[in-house]
Amino acid sequence: MTDDTPRTSVRMTVNGEDVETTFGTHKTLLEVLREELGLTGTKHGCELGECGACAVEVDGKPILSCLLMAAECDGAKVETVEGLMDDARLHPLQEAFADLGAAQCGYCTPGFLMTAKSLLDANPKATRAEVKEALSGCLCRCTGYQQIFDAVLSAADKMGRA
Amino acid sequence: MMHAFEYAAPKSLDEALKLLGSAWGDTEILAGGTDLLSLMKDFVVQPKRLVNLADVGLAGIAPEGDSLVIGAMTTLDALLAHASVPTALTQAAAGVHSPQLRSMGTIGGDLLQRPRCWYFRRGHGLLAQKDGASMVEAGDHRDHAVFGNGGAAKYVNPSSFAPALIALGASVKVRGQNGERSLAVKDLYRTPASATEREFTIASNEIVTHVVVPISRSSNATYEIRQRHGLDWPEASASVAVTVVDDKVTAASACLGHVAPVPWTVDVSSLVGSVLTAESAAAVAAEVVADATPLTMNGHKVELAKVALTRALLRAAGKEVVR
Amino acid sequence: MSSTNWNRDPKNSVGKPRRRVDARARVTGQVRFADDLSLPRMLHCRLVRSHVPHAKILGIDASKALARKGVKLVLTGEHFPIAYGVLPVSHDEHPLCNDKVRFVGDPVAAVIATTEEEAIDAANDVVVHYESLTTIATPQEALATPEPRIHTYGDAGNVHKKVHFEFGDVDASFAGAAHVFDDTFFYEGNTHLPIEEHASLAIQDPEGKLCIWSSTQTPHYLHKALAKALAMDPAHIRVIATPNGGGFGGKSDPFNHEIVVAKAALMLGRPVKICLTRLEVFYCHRGRHPIEMRMRTATDKDGNVLALDLQTLLDGGSYGSYGVASTFYSGALQTVTYTIPRYRFRGCRAFTNKPPCGPKRGHGTPQPRFAQEVQLDRIAVKLGKNPADLRLQQLAQPGSLTANFMRIGTIGLGACIDKVVEGSRFRERWGKLPFGRGLGLACSSYLCGAGLAINWAELPHSGVQLRLDRSGEVTAFCGATEIGQGSDDVLANIVAEILGIPPFDVRVVTGDTGLTPVDLGSYSSRVTLMMGNAAIQASERARDLIAKSVGEKLGVPPSRLVFANKRVFDAQDPNVGMTWLEALHRAESDHGTLGTVGSYRPAAPAAKYKGGGVGPSPTYSYSAAVIETQVDPDTGWIHVEHVWVAHDIGRSLNPTLVEGQVIGSVYMGLGEALMEEQVFGRLPPRLSNALVHKIPSILEYKSLTTKDMPDVTTYLIEDPDSAGPFGAKEVGQGPLLPMMPALANSVFDAVGVRVDEIPVTPEKVIRALEAKTKRYGPGEFPTVDWPEPLKVAPPWEGGDGTAQNEKPRKSKIAKDGTRIVTP
Repeated sequence: MTDDTPRTSVRMTVNGEDVETTFGTHKTLLEVLREELGLTGTKHGCELGECGACAVEVDGKPILSCLLMAAECDGAKVETVEGLMDDARLHPLQEAFADLGAAQCGYCTPGFLMTAKSLLDANPKATRAEVKEALSGCLCRCTGYQQIFDAVLSAADKMGRA
Repeated sequence: MMHAFEYAAPKSLDEALKLLGSAWGDTEILAGGTDLLSLMKDFVVQPKRLVNLADVGLAGIAPEGDSLVIGAMTTLDALLAHASVPTALTQAAAGVHSPQLRSMGTIGGDLLQRPRCWYFRRGHGLLAQKDGASMVEAGDHRDHAVFGNGGAAKYVNPSSFAPALIALGASVKVRGQNGERSLAVKDLYRTPASATEREFTIASNEIVTHVVVPISRSSNATYEIRQRHGLDWPEASASVAVTVVDDKVTAASACLGHVAPVPWTVDVSSLVGSVLTAESAAAVAAEVVADATPLTMNGHKVELAKVALTRALLRAAGKEVVR
Repeated sequence: MSSTNWNRDPKNSVGKPRRRVDARARVTGQVRFADDLSLPRMLHCRLVRSHVPHAKILGIDASKALARKGVKLVLTGEHFPIAYGVLPVSHDEHPLCNDKVRFVGDPVAAVIATTEEEAIDAANDVVVHYESLTTIATPQEALATPEPRIHTYGDAGNVHKKVHFEFGDVDASFAGAAHVFDDTFFYEGNTHLPIEEHASLAIQDPEGKLCIWSSTQTPHYLHKALAKALAMDPAHIRVIATPNGGGFGGKSDPFNHEIVVAKAALMLGRPVKICLTRLEVFYCHRGRHPIEMRMRTATDKDGNVLALDLQTLLDGGSYGSYGVASTFYSGALQTVTYTIPRYRFRGCRAFTNKPPCGPKRGHGTPQPRFAQEVQLDRIAVKLGKNPADLRLQQLAQPGSLTANFMRIGTIGLGACIDKVVEGSRFRERWGKLPFGRGLGLACSSYLCGAGLAINWAELPHSGVQLRLDRSGEVTAFCGATEIGQGSDDVLANIVAEILGIPPFDVRVVTGDTGLTPVDLGSYSSRVTLMMGNAAIQASERARDLIAKSVGEKLGVPPSRLVFANKRVFDAQDPNVGMTWLEALHRAESDHGTLGTVGSYRPAAPAAKYKGGGVGPSPTYSYSAAVIETQVDPDTGWIHVEHVWVAHDIGRSLNPTLVEGQVIGSVYMGLGEALMEEQVFGRLPPRLSNALVHKIPSILEYKSLTTKDMPDVTTYLIEDPDSAGPFGAKEVGQGPLLPMMPALANSVFDAVGVRVDEIPVTPEKVIRALEAKTKRYGPGEFPTVDWPEPLKVAPPWEGGDGTAQNEKPRKSKIAKDGTRIVTP
C-alpha cells in the first residue's frame, strides 16, 4: 500500500456496537474484521468464496466476508461469531455444537455457526434437508457434517421450546 | 489480497455510466462480486476503478405488459422467492447451492461472469494461448467446450441463467452513453478471436439494466448435471421451453449450458407436431449432439449434454423419472 | 499398588460421551490459530516460488524488490546451505532452493516486508534466471529416464527407493493354487485440504532465542529441523504448535516456510509471519501418493488366500518427505486383516517433478487396501460366495504373528463385519438389488502408532508431566499436538479418570517444546495410545503419592482407596475419606511440591529384518463398512445413499469424539473414492514445460459438500486391548480405509462394472459401461528392475523375524540419541 492508496471510512454496527473504521478501499470485509477490528473469529480458507469459513451475517443475510468489499458496508449491521454469545452465555447453537461434537478443529466452525444462525432466524423449524441445503456452501474437512446437522437440529428444537 | 483501486458507489445509472471507462479492464462493474472479487484476488483482472451498481435502483421483479422485468441487480434468493419467475430460471437458481452466493449473486452478474477455465483463472489469458498454440488442447480440458470450439476459444460459458433465458426467448435492456437498446440474451455473447476482446457484445461502458422475460404459457425446465450435489459447476445443463396443445408439441426451444464458449442454442423443432415421450426426447437430443466436436479428454460431456437435454424436455413435460 | 492392569473398569469420565474440554473455545471462535496471532512490529513474508518444474538456478536478481518501499530483507538459497528433511535417510530439502528447482512451487527466495501487500508485490519483482532441465511427469518416465537425476541420492537414477521382500515360497503357493487372481489398479493422488492454510510466526525472543508458533502436527520434528537447518543449539529454540485448523498429515513435515521466517526473525530481530495462500497449500502438498499396483492372489478352491504377490509403484514427487516410509507402508499391512500364509511385496518410489507426496490419513495403506479388497470382491463373485463369508472364513487371529512378523493384538474385525452386514441387510440384498442400485463391503486395519520412531532412539515416544496444584487443579504437560482430533481431551480425560476429578479440572498444556515433554507428534494414529499410556503412568504415580498420604491419615491401606467424584475414600466404607483438595494438601505436606512424570515406548517389534521397522505397532484397529449406492447409468452419476461402518476401537475414551472421528473418516474416504484428485498437467515443452496443478482451488479440487454426505450408521466394537490406555485403539485413520473399495464394490453391484481406479468418477463409470470388458482401469503394470528379495521365513515355517539372506548391519547411537543403522 502506498501513500496515495485510496482509503475509505465506514460506520457500521458490528455485533451491536457502532464502529467507525478507515481502511484501504480495496479491503474486503473479512480483512477489515480480522486486521482492523481484531475480530479473528472469522476465518479464511480460500478467500475466493469457495469454502465458507468467512461466512458472517450482514443485514440479516448470510454473506461471504471474503467477497464483500468493506466499502459496501457503510451503515450495515454485521454479525460475527464474536457476537453470537448473549453476554457470557453461549448461543443454543454453540451449546449444541459443543455438546454433540460438531466442532473438531474449530476452524470452519464460525462459518457454520453464522450460516446456521441465518437459517434458524429465517426458518426456525428447518428440516434436516433444509439444514443440509443451507450449509452447502460451507466445507468442513473434520466432522463429515453429521454431528453438525444433529447440532443445528438440536439447537432449533431447544430454541423452539424456549 | 487485491491491488488498490478506486471505488465508486453511484446513486444513479447516469452517474454510473459516466464512471465507466471506454476500454475493457480499466473499470469493472461490481454486481454482487462473487465472481469479480475472485478474479481480482487472482490478479486476473486488475481494474483501476470499481463501479458498484448496488445503489442505482436495479433490484426488483415486476410484470410489465406481457413480460416479467427483472432488474439486473436482483439477487438469486429474490428470484427464488418470487412466484412469477419461470421454473427454468428458478431451477437454475436452485442449482447454486449456497445461501451466501444466492444472497450476494445477481442475475446480471451471472450473465456477465467470466469463464471458469483453469487456464484463464491462472493468468494465461481468456484464450489460453502461448506461442500460437492452445494450452487447453495440450493440457487437461476435461471441462472444456464440446461445441463451438473450432476457434481459439475453448472455455465454456459459465452462466446459470443464460440458457434458460434463451430458451424462454428473453432479452436484456442495455444502457449506454447514447441511451437504451434491447438485445436478445443470445446476442449478448460472442466468441472472441483475440485475447484482447471480451466474450460479450456490449461495450465496457454499457450496463445491462434489466432482463425481460416474455410471460408465456410454455412448460419450461432446466436440468443440470454436476459431479457434486452441492456447490459445483455443472458439467452440462439444458434449458427448454415447450408448448403442448392437446398433448402435441406446438413449439419447442432449447439451449445448452456449459458446453460451448457461448450458451449453445439448439434446434429441437423436430419435436413439433408429435407427442413428447422419453423416446422422442432422447431422439432429438441424440440429433442435437451428433455434431459435437469434443477434444481428446471431454467426450463424456457430449453424453452428458444429451442426457441433460433429454431430461430437461421430460421435466418440462412433467414426465421426468425421478431418480 | 501401582497398577498396570488395563482391564480395570473405568469408573469416572472414561467411556462417557461428553463435551470435549476445549469445546467452548472452538464454538466461540476463540481458538488462536497461527494466522490469528499478531505482534507489534510484525513483518510479513512471501515466498518466491518457481514457475518451472526442473531447472538449474543461474541467478537471482532481487535488486528491484529490495528497492521497494517497506522491503526489509530478501533471502535466497545462499542463506540456507544446510539440508534437512523429516526422515534421517532423506535430508534432501533446503528452506530455499540452493542450486536447482524441482517442481513448480519450489521456493527460491523470500521477501520480508512491513505489510503483506508490499511483500507480495516485491516478490513479484524478484527475477530468477533458470536453465531448464528435462522434466519427469510420471513414475514410468522416471524409470525410463535415469538422467538427469532429480536428486543425486536414492537407489538409482530417478528411483528413490526400491524394496523387495519374500515371506515364504510364494511361487510354490501359486503353482499349487486352485485359483489365481491377477489385477492391476491405480489410485490417484489426493491432498489433505485442511481449511486452515499453513501459517507461522517467528520471533527472536527477548533473551535472543528463537520462538516460533506454527500450524504443525509435529513440533518435535520441526524443532530438530530448525536446529539443523539454522545450525543452532536446539536448547535455544522453542516451537509452539498452535492448534491446527485441520491436519490430516499435511502439516507433519517440517516446512521450508517455517525455517525461512525463523531465519528472518533472527536476522531482523522482529516478528515475521507467513500465511500461505490456498494455491500455495496445494503446491506444498505432501499428500497421498499416486500408486499403480499389481495384486496377484493365489487361493484354494474355497477362496482362502494361499499367497499374495503385490507390486506397487509410487509417484513420490520431487522430495523424500516421508516417502521411504510410504513405500514400505504400501505393503506392510496387507497381512493383518486375513490369514495370509505367504507374501511377496515389491515396492518402488520414483522421483517426479511435482510437489512432494507424503503422509495423508492412512499413510501408504489405502491404496493397496483398495486393491486387495476389490480383488476379494472379485474372488467372491467368481466363486459364488457372499463377500462377507469369504472374509469371515479367513480372518487373521488375535495375538498372532503375520507372515511378515507384524504382531497382532485383539481383532474386532469379525464383529465389525457382522454389524455392518446385519445393519445393511447385506446377505439379503447384495447381488439382488435392481440395476442401478448396489451394496459394497470392504474391511481394513490400521496402526495405533508406529512401533519404531522416525529417529531410532531408545527414548520414550511420548512423555507426560503432571503438576498438582494445591488449588485442586492438575496441569498436564505433553508435547502432543491438538489438530482437532481431540488429543487435549484424551489427555485431560485419562488424568481425570485416574485421579477421580472432572476432566474440566485438568488444565492441558500441549505442543510446546519449551514447556512440554517430547511427544513425537500427531501422526500415525499414535497419540491416544502413546500419550495415553504416558498419562496413565504419570497419573498413577500421582495417585500413589496421594494414596500413601491419605491412607496413612485414614488408617486405610492405600490399595483400598478409591479416587472418584473429587473424593478419595475407602472402597469398603465410602464415608471414610476426604475431599480431593484435602487429599492434595495432605500429600503436599508429606511429599513437598507435587509433580510426576510418565512416559511410553512401544515394545521392540518382532520383525527384525531390514525394513521390518515400518508396519509394527503396539496393536491394530479394524474397520468394516457397507456402502449403498445408486448409480445413474446414463450419466455415471453416483449417489451414496447410506454408509454402515463398524470400528474396532478397543475402548471409546469419549464416544462423542470417537464417533466424530469415524464419520469424519467416512467423509474423507468417500471424497477420495468419488472425486478428490491432486493431478498435474504437463504443458508441451514450448509452452514452458511446466508441470502445473490442474485444479489448484477448493472449488475445482472437489470434496464432499453437506449435500453429498450420506447418513452414516456407526458401530463401535469395544474389546479392550492390553496395549492401549484402558484398552483403547486408534480411530482417526482406520475407518477411512474401507471406504474406497466398498464404494467401488457397490458400483459393481449396482451396474456390473469394475472401476479399478480411484477416484471412481462418473466419467469412468460411463467408460466402463461402454467397454467390452466392463472395466475401467490401468493396463499392464510397468516393468521394474526389482532387486533381489530379502527372504524371511514366516513364523509357521520356522522363521524368527530375521532375513535368511541379509548382510549384518552396524548400529551406533548418535550424539542426539538417534540410532543409526548401516548395512
